[in-house]
Amino acid sequence: MTNSMNEALKAIEIFNPMVEEIDERQVKVSVGNDKLVSVLETLKSKGYSHLSLITCVDWIDDGQLELVYILFSWQDGGKFIVTTRIDRNNPKFVTVKEIWPVARFYERELHEFFGVEFEGNDDMKPLFLELWDEMPPLRKDFDPREYSKSKFPDRKYEKDVIKEAKIFRGEIDG
Amino acid sequence: MKQSQSQMPKKDFFAPVKAWKFLGKKPVTIEVPNKVKREASERYRGFHINDWSKCIGCGTCAKVCPTDAIKMVEVPGLVQEDGKLPQRPVIDYGRCSFCALCVDICTTGSLQMTREYIHISDDPEDYIFMPTEKGIKAKRGLYEHGKAPLGWVKDKDSDLLDLERVLMEMVEPQERVRSFIEIVKGYSKEQAMKEAARCVGCGICTYTCPAHMDIPQYIESIYNDDLEEGLRWLYRTNPLSMVCGRVCTHRCESVCAIGNRGEPVAIRWLKRYIIDNVPLEEYSRILDINPEKKGKSIGIIGSGPAGLAAAYFLATMGYDVTIYEAAPRPGGVMRYGIPKYRLPDEALDKDIALIEALGVRILTNMKVGEDISFDEIAKKHDAVFLATGFGLGRSTKVPGTDHPNVKQALPMLKMIRDFLRGDGPKPPVPKKLVVIGGGNVAMDISRSMARLQMIEYGKVDVHTASLERTYEEMPADMDEIEEALEEGVKFYPGWGPIEIVIENDEVKGVRFKKCIRVFDENHRFNPQFDEEKQIFLEADMVIEAIGQAPDYSYLPQELQEKLEFFRGRIKTNEYGQTAIEWLFAGGDIVHGPDIVHGVADGHAAAKGIDLYLSSKE
Repeated sequence: MTNSMNEALKAIEIFNPMVEEIDERQVKVSVGNDKLVSVLETLKSKGYSHLSLITCVDWIDDGQLELVYILFSWQDGGKFIVTTRIDRNNPKFVTVKEIWPVARFYERELHEFFGVEFEGNDDMKPLFLELWDEMPPLRKDFDPREYSKSKFPDRKYEKDVIKEAKIFRGEIDG
Repeated sequence: MKQSQSQMPKKDFFAPVKAWKFLGKKPVTIEVPNKVKREASERYRGFHINDWSKCIGCGTCAKVCPTDAIKMVEVPGLVQEDGKLPQRPVIDYGRCSFCALCVDICTTGSLQMTREYIHISDDPEDYIFMPTEKGIKAKRGLYEHGKAPLGWVKDKDSDLLDLERVLMEMVEPQERVRSFIEIVKGYSKEQAMKEAARCVGCGICTYTCPAHMDIPQYIESIYNDDLEEGLRWLYRTNPLSMVCGRVCTHRCESVCAIGNRGEPVAIRWLKRYIIDNVPLEEYSRILDINPEKKGKSIGIIGSGPAGLAAAYFLATMGYDVTIYEAAPRPGGVMRYGIPKYRLPDEALDKDIALIEALGVRILTNMKVGEDISFDEIAKKHDAVFLATGFGLGRSTKVPGTDHPNVKQALPMLKMIRDFLRGDGPKPPVPKKLVVIGGGNVAMDISRSMARLQMIEYGKVDVHTASLERTYEEMPADMDEIEEALEEGVKFYPGWGPIEIVIENDEVKGVRFKKCIRVFDENHRFNPQFDEEKQIFLEADMVIEAIGQAPDYSYLPQELQEKLEFFRGRIKTNEYGQTAIEWLFAGGDIVHGPDIVHGVADGHAAAKGIDLYLSSKE
């Protein structure tokens, strides 16, 4: 861990984080829902000012979604991965777009793919999916194969694929 | 849907007219392929290639495909063989999302992706392909057909298969050589579920297993933690699963798809896990066998693997079954041949207890030809199944083998087991032992005697010599050889006996000559020796373990004349039926020594007997 990371860690000690060192320049910090925004703001003030990504992990067996905020420092290349877990059945959290305006796009994405709502961010128009009418597709109980089968019925092909393959392999003459 | 539609931009009345204004502008869209074709990046996930010489048709790619784009199609001309299914994947590029999961899970690594990404056609038929080494014949593509460079290929990080087996705990060599305790400890629930998760469910093993066990199905039961269902799968084809879960030759594992690049799934230990963890009292409830009585009876001679398996399947069909066993306890080779450290009595007792619970009578101490005549059995029953096994040992017949301290492995193994269960006297334990033979029986006797020596004298002095010149060439399982080495057995591969040296009527040792070839060009046993090179191994006892032979002396002469034999084995049809229609045979005397083959024979004969008796009605 770099010196400035140690310093930043000290600064967020009061929020009782669970700290896990991943490697020299990456630390994972897990905190309670009510502490998350304060931790992000503190880290931002300590130089970890670049919000690289907001993403999410579906812990289906625990009934939780883990929100993941990745903060980067341009000073020493250190990275903080700040996470908090929310209820999977009532996935609501607060927006951080007031701290990082770019966050509104990440939040829209998470709404689209995991179904998370962010209080204070009303613009939840889909970013990627067209005419989506199923559960958010990155939730682990989404079955892509079933979806694919129901949306795209199999086509009946006429071509003799075996014969073609054998011609390609030189087993028979075309 | 509704929400999305409402978000579509409203159509303007002048929209069609506005479109005209773009007429004079330079187009933004680049026509593909352009004059300069852009190559895809190095790890691009483009069209597939599949190396047919590596592909085993396991179908794992089709199973993992999230868009259901891959179908396995049987290819005429490819034949079903051990470790291979005669089918290859066909990819529908109208469905494929180029996610590469199929490449990352491929058991053999035959399926890969190229950097070809252009294929333009207005004929939908052009979007289905059976990938070969040459891949898709891309229309207007970047590369000549078959010349596209590789793009996405599996690496250590993207590999979806778990190539390493969950380690089985074993008793340490120094400890196990001091007693006959069972070596393999068995999987815990966590270990078994983890190991079960490695199986891709391709079922290639089922074809190779002589009993064609439903291996992927019972492994999935373990993964789902439903051992009752697992037990039902086992008993569909194998009523000796406890025994096979310990000492099967596990040919299934040698063809396991995961074994192409990693360690095969521990199929044998998983089978054992199911049996070890379902209490015997629950069997009848779980298996729920209530056949209608057929009112016909079958006599079975021999209670080894084939005899017991046949008895089980016949009993489940409603036949009245009686087994005639010469020895005081049922089980044949499983009771008297295989050492206790590999197969404890309790394991066998559990398998037999269920068979007896179905109403099968096992008459022990009933040697056919002595205690009961064969004709009497033939008269009593509607059909007879012979499963008498290979009970006689073979001898090298070199000078000196008639000395009383030159023994045969099978009687010695029997004596040791009888002694350990309190049925017989202590076998003689030599200070220095030479074993002749390189098969599993040679391992069994070497390791059993090593234990007795350790108990008696505190040190192992066993020297095992075989004609086969390497460990790989020896017919014994590699595990057996390794474990024997760990226990202190010394091996001499590539030596054939010349004579047993006897002085003053006492065995002094064995003289060997170098074996330079075991099999000839036609793969027939035809050893050749270098007579110049010789060694002498000291011994006060020699045990021969070079193979077993059948004993047909119990069969009446006129019956023997009617039967057909081939190299000492009885010829039967696929249902074990001999040239005499009411007489069936199976196990060693038909297919040679192998427990699971015996089980398969018993199953086949049970079906055959049922067909025969049904057709007679």
